[in-house]
Amino acid sequence: MDFTLIVVLVIVLALIFDFTNGFHDTANAMATPIATGAMRPKVAVAVAAVLNLVGAFLSTEVARTVSGGIIKEGDGADSVSITPELIFAGLIGAIVWNLITWLRGLPSSSSHALFGGLIGAAIIGAGFGAVDYGVVVEKVILPALIAPLIAGIVAFAATKIAYAITRREIGKPDGRGGFRYAQIFSSSLVALAHGTNDAQKTMGVITLTLIAGGFQAVGSGPEFWVIAACAMAIAIGTYTGGWRIIRTMGRGLTEVKPAQGFAAETSTAATILASSHLGFALSTTQVASGSVIGSGLGRRGSSVRWGMAGKIALGWVLTLPASAIMGAFAAGLAHIGPIGIILDAVIGAVVIAGIFWWSRREKVSHHNALNINDIDDAGRVVKIRKTPRKPPRQDRKKVAL
Amino acid sequence: MIDWAAFLVVAVASLVAAAIVVSLYAFGLRLMTTAGRIPVVEPAEFTGAITILTQKQAQKEAKRARKAAKANPLSPGQKRLALISAYVCFVLCAGAVLYGVYLVIPALHGGS
Repeated sequence: MDFTLIVVLVIVLALIFDFTNGFHDTANAMATPIATGAMRPKVAVAVAAVLNLVGAFLSTEVARTVSGGIIKEGDGADSVSITPELIFAGLIGAIVWNLITWLRGLPSSSSHALFGGLIGAAIIGAGFGAVDYGVVVEKVILPALIAPLIAGIVAFAATKIAYAITRREIGKPDGRGGFRYAQIFSSSLVALAHGTNDAQKTMGVITLTLIAGGFQAVGSGPEFWVIAACAMAIAIGTYTGGWRIIRTMGRGLTEVKPAQGFAAETSTAATILASSHLGFALSTTQVASGSVIGSGLGRRGSSVRWGMAGKIALGWVLTLPASAIMGAFAAGLAHIGPIGIILDAVIGAVVIAGIFWWSRREKVSHHNALNINDIDDAGRVVKIRKTPRKPPRQDRKKVAL
Repeated sequence: MIDWAAFLVVAVASLVAAAIVVSLYAFGLRLMTTAGRIPVVEPAEFTGAITILTQKQAQKEAKRARKAAKANPLSPGQKRLALISAYVCFVLCAGAVLYGVYLVIPALHGGS
């Protein structure tokens, strides 16, 4: 197979992955401010998109190794060479899993999907020895357990504090609506942090491929066009807004009020910043989900829908193995040769198109993402219209006559 | 080796940071309320699901806030003090958030 062609294919796929990463993660920052009405849905996703774009350019930190040592790439004794074909297969697995979880409205970690896809592809390409399972436990499984726990505890405490400080006697206005202003800033901080982290992964994938293909010097950082393309892809993805996931995060887990929303977003931002500063990155998605649950537990009289939380947790457990299996399948096909890669691309395209077609059967957009149901919505509209309208003058005359 | 201490440090650091930011802002709101400037912020969009508020309810709340502000027992001086303290809280809170932005952008602190 023409080497240049496979490199181009990988770049295209990497950008598609970046796009799915963006719209999968809009909810992390923007579900709660949309839910409490701090920002209009369209404004919120636009702000998140711009901050992701800015964030991608701001961070000069380059993901040196895409897999973070999970796959034994490099020049060591028992290392494996990561070929563009393997990256190609891994990306297909990651994209398909991201789309499946989006269709189900499940917030799941895009990084885990990427790791899973690459692990599956590496196992097929170079055997089970290609993966360092100790690193998998340390960098993927353990943080996945700890991230929502820490974020949940922090958000619980923050919510308690917010309510305790603003508590007044029943019936007296407490000014808690003022938390809506704060939400705009706290959610923006989460979006910015996301932009500085997540676009990096795709830049790393593309740069790795370019280096492997001999188009770029070994050890050099990402080219400017790579940074720009990745920043655009994640921003467009974010603006598209994964409304299904926003629905889950904004109303599926618990009812969110402004004070809770602010507490949850602040906790998300604090936890992500603290962790990435101490050298290990927690998944933004898992931190944000934990925060929302924690804030739900922290407010008196609110309840957490544990059924939904369980579904999300199941999605997290499945993310790594499921994307690994799909990555392995794609790698197996790619092993056949050029025909296999073409088959991969065709099957991938068909699956992606199929998921989008399936998603249109029940459309979720900024119009309906956070409404309980259409009947309820219609009822409210009718109520508002009914009250102020008086019968036109002429009609009244007719009645008088 | 799994670094348990790092997880603990992250937990404590995030807890402290979130507690500081949320407390400052909440105190700011509380002091605004005390000063008789009760912040009533209408939702930008009535999302139906989470905000149970309707336009009418929001207006009612604003009216209630005005009424409560009128019945404020504090002297003008005390009110002014409360208002200034509220602004101080907001500024400190903004400072904490800006520090977060500073941490987000590696270029500002020499990369990591």
